[in-house]
Amino acid sequence: MLTPITIVYLVILACVLALVVWNLFTEKKFTNQITAAMVTIPLILRLLLIK
Amino acid sequence: MSIELIIFLVMVGTFMAGCFAAKLPVSVSMLLASVAGALVGGHGIPVRHLVEGTFAYIDTILTIATAMVFMKVVEKSGALDALSSLIIEKFHKVPSLLLILVMLVIMFPGMITGSSTASVLSAGSIMAPILLLLGIPKVNVGAIIAMGGILGMIAPPTNVPAMIICGGIDMPYVGFTLPLALLTFPLAILFVLLLGYKYVRKLDYSLIEGQLDKEIRKTYGVKIYLPILTLAALMLADSLIPAFPDVGTPVLFLIAAFVGLFTGKKFKVLETAKDAVQDVLPVMGILMGVGMFIQIMTLTGVRGLIVNASISMPGPLLYAAMGLAIPAFGAISAFGSASVLGVPFTLAMISGNQVLIVAALSLLAGVGDMVPPTALAGIFAAQVVDEPKYTRILKRSIIPIAVQILYALTFIIFSTPIGKFLGI
Amino acid sequence: MKKHTITALLLTVVVAAVCVYSGNLFLSLRADDVIIPSKDLTEVRMLSDYLPKLKGTRGDTAIYIFKGEEEGGKALVLGGTHPNEPSSYTSAVILVENAKVTVGTLYVIPQAARSAFTHNDSQEASPLYVHFENSKGEVRKFRYGSRAVNPIDQWPDPDVYEHASSGQLLSGSETRNLNRAYPGREDGNLTEQVAFAITEMIKKENIGLTFDLHEASPEYPVINATVAHEKSMDFAAFGLFELDMYGIDMALEPSPVNLHGLTHRELGDYTDTYPLLMETANASQGRLRGATNEKLALDGKDKFYVSAGELGMLYVPYDENGHPIEERVGRHLQGVLSYTAAYNDFSGTPIVIENVPMYEEMIAAKVGDYLN
Repeated sequence: MLTPITIVYLVILACVLALVVWNLFTEKKFTNQITAAMVTIPLILRLLLIK
Repeated sequence: MSIELIIFLVMVGTFMAGCFAAKLPVSVSMLLASVAGALVGGHGIPVRHLVEGTFAYIDTILTIATAMVFMKVVEKSGALDALSSLIIEKFHKVPSLLLILVMLVIMFPGMITGSSTASVLSAGSIMAPILLLLGIPKVNVGAIIAMGGILGMIAPPTNVPAMIICGGIDMPYVGFTLPLALLTFPLAILFVLLLGYKYVRKLDYSLIEGQLDKEIRKTYGVKIYLPILTLAALMLADSLIPAFPDVGTPVLFLIAAFVGLFTGKKFKVLETAKDAVQDVLPVMGILMGVGMFIQIMTLTGVRGLIVNASISMPGPLLYAAMGLAIPAFGAISAFGSASVLGVPFTLAMISGNQVLIVAALSLLAGVGDMVPPTALAGIFAAQVVDEPKYTRILKRSIIPIAVQILYALTFIIFSTPIGKFLGI
Repeated sequence: MKKHTITALLLTVVVAAVCVYSGNLFLSLRADDVIIPSKDLTEVRMLSDYLPKLKGTRGDTAIYIFKGEEEGGKALVLGGTHPNEPSSYTSAVILVENAKVTVGTLYVIPQAARSAFTHNDSQEASPLYVHFENSKGEVRKFRYGSRAVNPIDQWPDPDVYEHASSGQLLSGSETRNLNRAYPGREDGNLTEQVAFAITEMIKKENIGLTFDLHEASPEYPVINATVAHEKSMDFAAFGLFELDMYGIDMALEPSPVNLHGLTHRELGDYTDTYPLLMETANASQGRLRGATNEKLALDGKDKFYVSAGELGMLYVPYDENGHPIEERVGRHLQGVLSYTAAYNDFSGTPIVIENVPMYEEMIAAKVGDYLN
C-alpha cells in the first residue's frame, strides 16, 4: 500500500513529467528534444511503479 | 592493451566527438558513448542497462526541478530584489562581514539537505544579486556560489558522501561534526574573501543605492520575504525537531514556492514552472547520460579498471591518486565517486584516523561537483548569475579547488596526529 | 504539423517502446523463484503470521519449517537479507530442498528481504538471474536482486536514515537495508516492518540460535568471518575449532556495540536468541571488480581482484581460481552445521540437521547437484 509521502512524491513526479513532456513538444531543436525524451523514461517507469 | 582500456577509450572518444565535433548536447553524447562502450564490450545495445543506470538520479531530478521552481517564484514575486536591497542597506558598512555572512547563508541549505544543488539554486540564487550589486564580477559571484554550495554539502550536520563511505565500511556516522566544521568553514571564509573582498573593500554605497529596489519592500512589507523565511524555517525544523515529519527537500521547496504565490508580484504559475524545468532540462539530461555511462562502465569492467588503477598507486603516489581521481570521478557524480573510490581508498588507509580520513575524502568528493560534464554546482551557479559559459566559472575556481584538494590531503596524510590533537 | 511536433511525436513513440520493453523486463523480476522443498519439510508459514499487516505486500515471505520427531532446540537461518550476495540465498535454498531434522526445529527464511529480489541496483549492472543445472539436467533459475528493498515498495528515501531505536545516522538509501533495520518497528516502513516481524517470530517461537548468511567484497576487512554477539562468543569459539578441522579458515569477530540495526547486534540485545552472521567472499559485489555478469557472481574469477590480491589490498586470498559459489555455499552450510553442533553442547537443547552437504561434499560437487 502506498504511504501518504509516496503519493505526494508520485504527484510531484507526475507534475515534473508533464512539464518535461510540455518542453519536449515546444522545444525546437531536435537534440534538445532527445534530452527531454531521455528524462521522461525513468519518470514514466517510476510513476507507473514499475522500476 | 586490455579490453577494458579499449572500451574506456572508445567511450571517452565517442563522448568527445559528440560534444566537440558534432556539437551535440552532453546528455546525447553520453548516451552515444554508453552505447558505443556496450557495443565494443559485446553487449549490443543493452536497453535494460541504459534505462536502469538513470534511476540513480530520479530523486536528484525531483530536487533539481523543485529547487528551480522555488528559485523562479522567489525571483518573479520580487522577494529576491527586496532581500538584496535590505541586506545591502543594513550591512554595507562592514563589507567583509557581509561577504562571510552571505557565504554562510549560501552554505546553509547544503548543510541541511546534503545537496550542493539545493544550496546553489536556493540560497545561492538569493544571495547572487547582492554580490553582483556590491560590484563583484559575475564570474566571481558564480565561483563563490558554486564553492559555497559544495562546502555547504560537505559541512555538518548532513554530509551524504561521508555517509556513503561510512555505509560502505560499516562505520557509524558519528563524531563528524568537528572535523567537517574544521574542513569547511575556514575554506568558506577564505574563498569568499579571496574571490570577493577586493571588489567590496572600498564600497561606495551611494553608487549602488540607486539600483536597490526599495519600492517593493514598501509595497509588500515583511510578507514579501515569506517564501524565503518559510524555506529557512522548514529546513531548520527538519534538522532540529526530531518529531518534524521527514518529507524530503523537494516538498520543502514546493511549500515555500506555494507561499510565494501570495506574497508579492503576481505571475503566470504554469509558464513559470515550465520555464523552470526548461532551464534545468540540460542538467537532468546530463544526469541521465551519466547514469547510463556508469552502468556501462560497470557492466564492461571499465569501472574496475579505473578503481584499480587509482588505488594501486604506491606510497605518496596514492595521495596524488586520491587528490586527482576522486574529484575526477566526481565529473560523473560526487556521490558516485564517494561510493566507488571513497570506500576502497578508506580501506587502503585503514591504519589512519578513520573519521578524519572519511571526512577529508568527502571534501575531495565534493570537488567533483565542479568537474565537467556534470558539474552540478558549477553549471547551476553559471545559470544563477546568467553566465553562458560555465567553464569561465571553473577557471575562476581553480585556485579554491586546488586549495580545497591540498587541505583535504593534509588532513588525510596527517590524520593520526590531527586526530590526537582534536581528541577524536 | 510543424517539424518539431513531428519529431516530438516520433520521440514519444521511441520512449514508449523503450518503456514497454524495459518495463516488461523489470516487471518479470516480480515473479517468485521456484523453491522445491525437501520431502521432510513439515510446515510452511508466512512472515505475515507474525505481523499481519505484511500480508499481500512484497515484505511477506515464506518460512520453511523442519520439525524433528524429537523435541529439542530451535534454530533460524536467514538467507537473502541482501539478495545480491548469492551464496546466502543459495545456501538457504539448499537447506530447504535437502534438510531433514530429527531433533528440534529448523526455520529457514530463504528470502528475508523478498522485496529486494524484485529489482537490481542502478549502476551496478547486476545480472538479472543466476542459473544452476540440477542432476536431472533441468535449469533452475534464481533472481540476483539488490542489496536493498525495492524503492517501489518504499519511496522516497530520506536524506538521512536515522535508525529508530539507537538514533544512529546513515545515508538515506540505508533506510531500505534490512540489516540496518533491526529490531524493526511495527508501524515503520516496509523494511522496518520485516525486521520487526522476524524479531517477533524469534521471540514468539523462542528461537535459540539465529544465523544470518551474507557475503562481502574481498577488499572488506570482515570476510571469511563470523560476527557474533558477545553472548554467542563462547559456543561460537567451539564451532570455529570444528570448522578449522574441516579446513575452513574462519575468523570470529565480536559484534561492534556501536553499530546498530544489524542482526548480530540487535537480535542479541532485543531477544533471547544467540545470533551469528557469516560472511563469504563475493567479487560480484566488490568495487574493484571487472566486468559484471552472472559468471563472476558464480565463479568469482576476476583479474582485477587477482592483481589487488598481489598488492596485499584484500582480506581474503585471491588467485585465478576465484571463489566459486560451491566454496562459498559450502562454508555457509558447514558453518550452520558446526555452530549448531557447538550450540547443542552449550545449550542442552539440541537441533540435529541431516542430509545437508558438508563443506567437502559441496566443493567436490556443483550447487545444482543439491537442487531438486
